[in-house]
Amino acid sequence: MDLTIRVAGEAGQGVQTTGDLLVATMAEMGLHVFATKSYMSRIRGGLNWFDVRIGDRPLFSGRETADLLVALTPQALATLRPYVAQGGAVVFNGECEGTCIGIGLEAVAKEVGGSAVMANAVAAGAVFTLLAYDARPLTDYLRVRFKKKGAETVEKNVACAEEGARRAAARAGALRAPTPTGTPVTVASGTEAVGLAAATAGVKFAASYPMTPATGVFTYLASVADEYGIVVEQAEDEIAAVNMVCGATYVGVPAMTTTSGGGFALMVEGLSLAGMLELPILIMLSQRPGPATGLPTRTAQQDLLFAVHAGHGEFPRAIFAPGTPKQAHRLTRRALETAHKWQSPAILMLDEFLADLVMDTPPFDTALRPIDRHILAEPPANYVRYAVTESGVSPRALPGSIAFVVVDSDEHTEDGHLTEDLEARVRLQDKRSRKAQGMRAEALAPERYGPQDAETLLVCWGSTYGPCREAVDILAAAGASVAMLHFAQVWPLDAAAIRKAMRLDGGAAGPKRVVSVEGNVGGQFAALLRQAVALADCECVCKYDGMPFTGEQIAERLKA
Amino acid sequence: MINPPSDNKPAWCPGCGNFPILKVLDRAIEDAGIDRRRLVLVSGIGQAAKTPHYTRANVFNGLHGRALPAATGIKLANHDLEVVVTSGDGDMYGEGAGHLLHTFRRNIGVKMFVHNNQVYGLTKGQASPTSDPGFVTKIQTHGVILAPVRPLALAIVEDCSLVARSFAGDQEHLEAMMVAALKHTGGTVLLDILQPCISFNRINTLTWYKERVRPVGDEHDSTDRAKALDLALTWGDEIPIGIIYRSDRPSFESRLGVLENGTLVGQFAEAAGGC
Repeated sequence: MDLTIRVAGEAGQGVQTTGDLLVATMAEMGLHVFATKSYMSRIRGGLNWFDVRIGDRPLFSGRETADLLVALTPQALATLRPYVAQGGAVVFNGECEGTCIGIGLEAVAKEVGGSAVMANAVAAGAVFTLLAYDARPLTDYLRVRFKKKGAETVEKNVACAEEGARRAAARAGALRAPTPTGTPVTVASGTEAVGLAAATAGVKFAASYPMTPATGVFTYLASVADEYGIVVEQAEDEIAAVNMVCGATYVGVPAMTTTSGGGFALMVEGLSLAGMLELPILIMLSQRPGPATGLPTRTAQQDLLFAVHAGHGEFPRAIFAPGTPKQAHRLTRRALETAHKWQSPAILMLDEFLADLVMDTPPFDTALRPIDRHILAEPPANYVRYAVTESGVSPRALPGSIAFVVVDSDEHTEDGHLTEDLEARVRLQDKRSRKAQGMRAEALAPERYGPQDAETLLVCWGSTYGPCREAVDILAAAGASVAMLHFAQVWPLDAAAIRKAMRLDGGAAGPKRVVSVEGNVGGQFAALLRQAVALADCECVCKYDGMPFTGEQIAERLKA
Repeated sequence: MINPPSDNKPAWCPGCGNFPILKVLDRAIEDAGIDRRRLVLVSGIGQAAKTPHYTRANVFNGLHGRALPAATGIKLANHDLEVVVTSGDGDMYGEGAGHLLHTFRRNIGVKMFVHNNQVYGLTKGQASPTSDPGFVTKIQTHGVILAPVRPLALAIVEDCSLVARSFAGDQEHLEAMMVAALKHTGGTVLLDILQPCISFNRINTLTWYKERVRPVGDEHDSTDRAKALDLALTWGDEIPIGIIYRSDRPSFESRLGVLENGTLVGQFAEAAGGC
C-alpha cells in the first residue's frame, strides 16, 4: 500500500520546506519514502510542487496522480486538482467548497506562531490528521529540528502543527495510509550520495561553474570542504573548471567537476586533453533537456551519445549511469577508482530526476577511505611518464618527486615531450587505445530484475531504473512475462557480456520483445546496443517532456 | 611509412626572440635557487608555448589559452610547487584572456612569463591581441581596427600582486625581472616580455623596441596604483620596462584554511597511509 502527498504553490512559498518536513518525519516513523520535486526556473512565483510518496514496501518511482493535494495558491489548485486520484483529498490554503478542505495555512501560522513562515508546520499537521497518523512524531521532529533556535521557536512550530492537525479533524482518517514500522529509516538524494561518495573517496579539489541540476553536488562539496579537506573553487567558466581539474589531477589529487549538458559542451576540449595526458579526471554530467539552454529545471537522458563521443581524437573513457542514490554513491567511487586505475577520464551521468529525488537508503559510511591512485612509490632516475606497456597503463609518478613529469597535449614520445615522429605517434596512440580493452573487461554487467526467461525485456540506464522496476512489478502482477536489464555502466560496453545478460544466444529462452526505456527522442542507448550486439529489433518507450517516467506510464505504454 | 625527422631541439626560426628568453629563463631558475624537481612549467599552444620542452623541469603543456586554469589547479593541489607559465601573447591575451582577468582577481601564486611579439607566429602572421592598430596582415588586409589589449593595465586594475615588463633584447634586465618574479611570494606575477618576431612582424623589430624601451627609474613608486596605471598605458615613442606595480594583497592559496594543514596532495597521501 502506498500514498502520494503533493504540496504545491509558488516558488518562495515554502513548498520545499513542507516537503522536506514530511519526508524527514515519515522516515523517522519508519515508512518507505520516495520524494520528487517539480520546479520552475525562477526564484519567486510560478508553480512548484513536491511529491512525497510513502509506502509499506520499498518505492522506486513517483506517480502522476496524488492522493492528497495541499494547494497553497488558487493556481496550484486549478492546475493540479485534475491529478488527484479517485477518493483522494484536497487541502486548500484558503476557503473552498465541496470535498476540498479549506485551511488558511498562512493565516493560522500568523495567528498561532506569529509568522506565515510556519505555514509548513500547519500543513504538515493537517496532513497527519487526514492520514490518521498521530501528530506526536511530527511534533517530536519539530522539537529536534528547531532546538538550536530556542524554546520559543520550538513551541510556536509545535503549536502550529497541532493547530493544523485540529483544523483537519472533521476529515480525520479521510485517506487510508500505510502503517509505519516505527523503526526510523535514513533517506538520501542522488546529489548527497554523489557528494558524500566523492568526499569520502578522497576528492580534494573540485572546480565548477554553477549549472542546474549539477549545482547541488558542488554545493554539497563546499558544505563538507572544511571537514574533509577539499578546496572547492568556483571557476570563471566550465573551460577553466575542467582545465583546473586536469592540473590538479596531474599533481596527484583526485579531483572532479560538476556540470550539465551546456557546460559539458564547453568542457569537451578539456576532456580530450585528459585523454591525451592520461589524467584521471571525473566529470559529473547531470542532464536536463536540451538543445541549448533547454528546460533548466527539468529532466532528460539526452546526452548519452554526446558523452560517449565527446572529444576530438580517439581515447578511452568510462561512463557510469547510476539509477538510485545508493547506486550513485557506489558508482561515484567506482568512477574515481576506474579513472585512476586506467589513467583515463570518467563521466558520471545523472539527471535532474536522480539528482533531486529523495528515497530511503541505508546509511552511507561517512569515514574518509581514500581510493588507490596507483602511484609509483619510488620512480627511477630515468623515469618517463608514458612508458609503453601491455595494458597501455604507464607507471605514474607525480611532480615534486625525484622524477620530472612531462605531459603534453601535442603527440609526444614516451618521455612526454612533443614530437612529430610518426612512428612514436602510432606507438603512443596504440598504447592509449589498449587501455580500452582492460576497461571493457572490467565494465559492470547489467542488473536484471525479473525472471531470467521473461518474454519481454525492458532495457534501461541511469535514473530510469526505479520507474522501470515498478513497471515490471505492475506488468508481472497483471500476468505478463517481463523483466528488466539496467545498465549502470554505459561505456565501454562488453558485447559478449551483454549478449549473455540479454540471453540473445540462448535460443528459446531469449526475450521475444526488447524495449528500451529512455528519456530522449529516439533511444540513444538502444542505438549503442544495436551497434554493440547487432540487435535486430528493439522498440523504444521514449519520453522527452522534461518530466521523469513513472512506473505506471511505462506499464501503460507497454500494454498499448 | 615516411617518417619526417623529429627531435627535441627548439622548433623556432633562427634568430627568434624565444632563444634569449629560454637562455635567460635557465639562468634565472639557477639564480633564484629554484629546485627544478619542484618547478612546473605550464604553457598553452603556440611557438612560445613550446619553451617548457627545451629545459629541465616538470612540464604541463596543455590546451591553447588554458595554461592559467591548469596552473591554478596545479598550485592548489600542491602549493609547495613553483608554478611558472611561459607562453605567448596569442595564448595568454587572446584565447585565454578570460582566464587572465580571473587569475589576476584570484591572485594565486602563479608566475606568468608572456612572450609578447604582437603577432601570431605558429599560424603564420595574423594579428595578435597586442598588435598595434593599422598593423596589416593577410587577414587584417586593411590593418588592425581593434584597440590593443593592455595587459599590464588589466593586471593593475585587478590588483595583481606583481606587474612587470621586460624586453628579450636586454638579457640583463630580463634576468633581473625573472629572478624578481621567481622570488616573489605574494601571489600572481605578470611579466610581459617584448620580443621581436623575425618572420611575421616587420614593424615591431628588435631595433623598433630598442629605440623605445626605457627602464623605469628608481623614483617610480611601484605601490602607487595611479602612477603604475599611467606607465602601463604608456605605449609609443616610449615604452616603460621594469617593475611597474606591486600590491601587498595576500595570495589566494594563503587565504584557504584547508591548506593550513599542508598541501592537498600531502593531505591525501597522509589519509591514504603515506602512499
